[in-house]
Amino acid sequence: MAVAALPDTLIDELVAVCGEEHVFTGRSALFNRARVPAPFPKHRWEDYIPQAVVLPTAAEQVSEVVKLANRHRVPVVPRAGATGLTDGAVPLRHGIVVDVKLMDRILEVDGEDRTVTVQPGINMLKLSEELKPLGFIYPDNPASYPCSLVGGRIGTSGWSLIGGRYGHTRDLVISFEIVLPTGERIRVGDGGGKKVRKSSSGYQLKHLFMGHQGTLGIVTEATLELVKRPEAEFSAFYAYPSYLDAWRATGEFARSGAATLAGVVLFDEWKIAYLRRDDEAYIPQPDWVKGVVAVAMYGNADEVRASAKRMLRIGKASGGTYLGDEISQGDWASRHDRYATPQHGRTRDGQVALMSWHCEDASILYSQLPAVREKWHAVAAGLRERFDMFDDWGMFAYTNGAYKPWGDYLTEIDIGIWEMKWDDESWSAWVDAKREIARIALEHGGSISACHGSCREGEVDLVPEELGGGFEVMKTIKRALDPNNIMNPGKYLLDEAYGEEVGA
Amino acid sequence: MIGFRLAAQRPPEARRVNDTVVMRFEHVYEVDPALMREHTPQQDIPAWDTLRIVDSRWEHLAWMHDHFADSVLSGEELLEEIEAEEGEQR
Repeated sequence: MAVAALPDTLIDELVAVCGEEHVFTGRSALFNRARVPAPFPKHRWEDYIPQAVVLPTAAEQVSEVVKLANRHRVPVVPRAGATGLTDGAVPLRHGIVVDVKLMDRILEVDGEDRTVTVQPGINMLKLSEELKPLGFIYPDNPASYPCSLVGGRIGTSGWSLIGGRYGHTRDLVISFEIVLPTGERIRVGDGGGKKVRKSSSGYQLKHLFMGHQGTLGIVTEATLELVKRPEAEFSAFYAYPSYLDAWRATGEFARSGAATLAGVVLFDEWKIAYLRRDDEAYIPQPDWVKGVVAVAMYGNADEVRASAKRMLRIGKASGGTYLGDEISQGDWASRHDRYATPQHGRTRDGQVALMSWHCEDASILYSQLPAVREKWHAVAAGLRERFDMFDDWGMFAYTNGAYKPWGDYLTEIDIGIWEMKWDDESWSAWVDAKREIARIALEHGGSISACHGSCREGEVDLVPEELGGGFEVMKTIKRALDPNNIMNPGKYLLDEAYGEEVGA
Repeated sequence: MIGFRLAAQRPPEARRVNDTVVMRFEHVYEVDPALMREHTPQQDIPAWDTLRIVDSRWEHLAWMHDHFADSVLSGEELLEEIEAEEGEQR
């Protein structure tokens, strides 16, 4: 399907707003912004190619671009690091991609009130590098830590690997400026003050404008927590002879009450089998290892030291075998950067095939983890049986609650996909499998997503079921704030909020 | 001559670690070449390059640790302290 070019008059107007050097209509600029790392139907690539890309450098430009889009009834899709796993930055209806990567400045570091104000295109790793000489860190730590951007983290309301100690994105973002779908600029936060962490004044709009996957606006500035840089880190990896032993130990670690506890990670036996293929930490592990639990702590050195000893005692009492400093420290460090892992898929006959990593996530209660694990692996097995392009790479469960990491878990099943093999039949089976994975999460009292969002084909069908009357409110809000359905149309079934006569 | 000759940098013969993994250098694991014949053929990599990649990996992990904290506590040392403390109590 050929994509119609935007009218020259609109291109001229975009150039007038952003400057000629910041407006792109060439094939490489457009094609490279059609997808994100989530599985992509590459056999239908043209369905997702935007018509223009702009890279604004100021909030005023973002606002003007959105106003232009309204006048011309052209979709606008915000794009930050484009590392999301639920297609937030994929232009489902073509249109203008607003790529915020050039808005990457630190605007203010306030050591007195402990905030840092930034533009949305800055990366967390780079931000923390700038803060380190001042004794601070910004500890929003997804698996895409070296490559995702603050703006995308707000649009996703993502989860952080060390969120048990420092909170997740929603806890670390104090306030932000957002360009609404009509082009107005407002600031939302916990109350009116840009730097206030807790307020009871008015509606709590910060959460409304987080995790909307670009359907409610474009963030142009954010004020973030400035956190004291940890003096010490401690991580420990323990091996267990069964998944259930590891699961019970996970509960013991997570419920320890240690204030420095940043996270607990549970690996199941499928995950260990996958890692035994090519990961130096797991290849040498004996066959009896069927479950691994990782614990990580951060904070003042004396506090971490004391609570680390508590964890080591729990590890021993729970029947775990400490895997040693090399694995504990090395593997933990690698967890901050999972977008750079080798992707050794295996076909059914054991041959290596270069597959893309995909992670399906959900929020699952601790008590339900064993049952959900069995059902999810059965879904993955069914896919692999039908198509020799899917590979079950095992499951992780991570503590999910900020500051109280014990009740529910970000639970993921990693599936390798040989994307060069996509066709309509395999894509359809994949979408069905995603829907089934989401249904299992809901049947066990969970949520479709803890981290990524849930607006992709398949799982999105169950969002009205998960949210109930809340989904009707979502549609009402969407239509009120975006009367022309300009902002990232096609996501989250929100087109249902409009009649046929409205739409970009 | 600029560059290298593969013959002068040919990695040692592999020894088998398990059904799917071999090893040419100590603690440097390699997917069994027999599994990389159909879809993703292996490339010739000189020994120095393999060792450079492995060393870089450790540099990367140290660099990543340094992003998050000033120091990294050793579980092995803490376990020794715990054993000593428990010994004193006994």
